[in-house]
Amino acid sequence: MSSVIAEKEGKIWAVGGGKGGTGKTFLASSIGIYLAKSEKRVILIDVDIGGANLHSLLGISRPKKCLTNFFETGTSLSRLAVKTGIENMSLITGDVHSLASDNIRFTQKLKLFRHIMKLNKQYVIIDLGGGSHNNTIDTFLMADKKIAVLEPEIIAIENMYHFVKNALFRKIRMSLRSYGFKEIVEHMWEQREKYQIKSLKELIDSLKDSFSYIGDILDRELADFRIYLVLNKIRSSQDILIGSSMKSIFNKYLGIDAKFVGYIEYDDVVWRSIRERRPLMLNYSLSRVAKEIGVFTENLLYEREMKISRI
Amino acid sequence: MTKKELKKYFDILEISPEATLMEIRSAYSRLKKLYSTDSVVISPIEDEFSIEERQKILEQIEDAYTKLMEQVKESQDRLVHHERPFAAGHNTMEGEEASISYSGQVLRQIREKMGIELFEVSLDTKIRVELLENIEQERFDDLPPEVYLKGHIINYANYLLLDSQKAAADYIARYRAWEKANKEEK
Ligand SMILES: Nc1ncnc2c1ncn2[C@@H]1O[C@H](COP(=O)(O)OP(=O)(O)OP(=O)(O)O)[C@@H](O)[C@H]1O
Ligand SMILES: [Mg+2]
Repeated sequence: MSSVIAEKEGKIWAVGGGKGGTGKTFLASSIGIYLAKSEKRVILIDVDIGGANLHSLLGISRPKKCLTNFFETGTSLSRLAVKTGIENMSLITGDVHSLASDNIRFTQKLKLFRHIMKLNKQYVIIDLGGGSHNNTIDTFLMADKKIAVLEPEIIAIENMYHFVKNALFRKIRMSLRSYGFKEIVEHMWEQREKYQIKSLKELIDSLKDSFSYIGDILDRELADFRIYLVLNKIRSSQDILIGSSMKSIFNKYLGIDAKFVGYIEYDDVVWRSIRERRPLMLNYSLSRVAKEIGVFTENLLYEREMKISRI
Repeated sequence: MTKKELKKYFDILEISPEATLMEIRSAYSRLKKLYSTDSVVISPIEDEFSIEERQKILEQIEDAYTKLMEQVKESQDRLVHHERPFAAGHNTMEGEEASISYSGQVLRQIREKMGIELFEVSLDTKIRVELLENIEQERFDDLPPEVYLKGHIINYANYLLLDSQKAAADYIARYRAWEKANKEEK
């Protein structure tokens, strides 16, 4: 794929994945720094409901302005953005209340999304935090690139599977709702035993079979539903296989496209850099971790995949 | 096989239609392993999918691989028998025989046509890269004794989906001719 495409569109990237502590914040900040260092304009947005901490990883203090100002007084996003000390990169923080469960109305959320999309002259990297709250899922769905961070560990695998499955189901429901077909999906899913539907993929398939117009809608709406998998904290080359296996499970059981874009090894240099409050991408830019981050960010930019010909 | 069918098989193996032979092979063995053993990645879907369904996926993978391999073999045959892109050069033994004679050079050309690197061959066949290089370059001096050499040629030709018996016979014939010439010199 040519760089023109990557430059033109697909600039809103959301980093999520379900389980807490997999490295989402570390990776979101590192991706941001990598892009900023390659002369791209970057804005990081921290929407982690429970614990916004992107600023700490960048070694700056908590910004006074935050997304709450956007919701309460309508301050524009670009005015909320604070300097990060890294050229080309600014930061917008959420706070405990801004995106918390019921503090934000649906219309407010849509307004936020609209404004984020307008920032399209720059790369917008969103740190989603963990969990699969509806607001988290909706932000994930809004993004051009849905980046899911995984660790080679069973709970992370299960959480991510359910996170992506929830996101897909929500996407299907929302798409069909806007065409007035919401009841059909819900009916079919509730009666899935009767219809012998065992998975989301089978639900999609039987929706398509039964109603050709629904098939067209879903084909269109799900065409760009693609997961970009990043595998963090690997401890052996065998672990890399988990990334490609996860991709396969998404493909075979959920019927969606996933790209395995890269892995990062487990290395104490990560926590060392966090403790020193100096981003790894700056202070340990020659480390293997930094190189691996560069590789998968390039893969994200150019829609490439990890080569996993042999492990 | 239609383009659409081909695409379907590539999709099942989750690779692009531009995939190299080695990528097809490794995708196949990776997927087969994933769905036939109890990988941790299977755990989130365990209760959603029955053994029969897994069996079905495995069959699809098997089928896709077989079909793709047949396809590769077919285009390989076309390459060898009809286009005869390698017919020029030292085609000593067979004379006017319709099919090609496998020299080191021919093996190399076929491999390059398939877009396979030597190290890839080496990973799959366990033949050292230097040895493969010596075979292709026909550095007969550096090759192992005939009995071993024959095994290597069969192994390599199999990997390239060629008629391995013929490849071994052709190659060994060249090797013997060299040996003979060598002795006469001395
Ligand atoms: N590649 C790695 N090697 C070693 N440690 C790592 C690596 N990646 C992340 N960590 C460590 O994992 C911890 C969690 O990282 P991080 O805060 O980025 O996770 P998170 O997914 O954002 O968590 P949360 O879900 O709580 O927001 C940090 O202490 C960090 O040092
Ligand atoms: Mg975090």
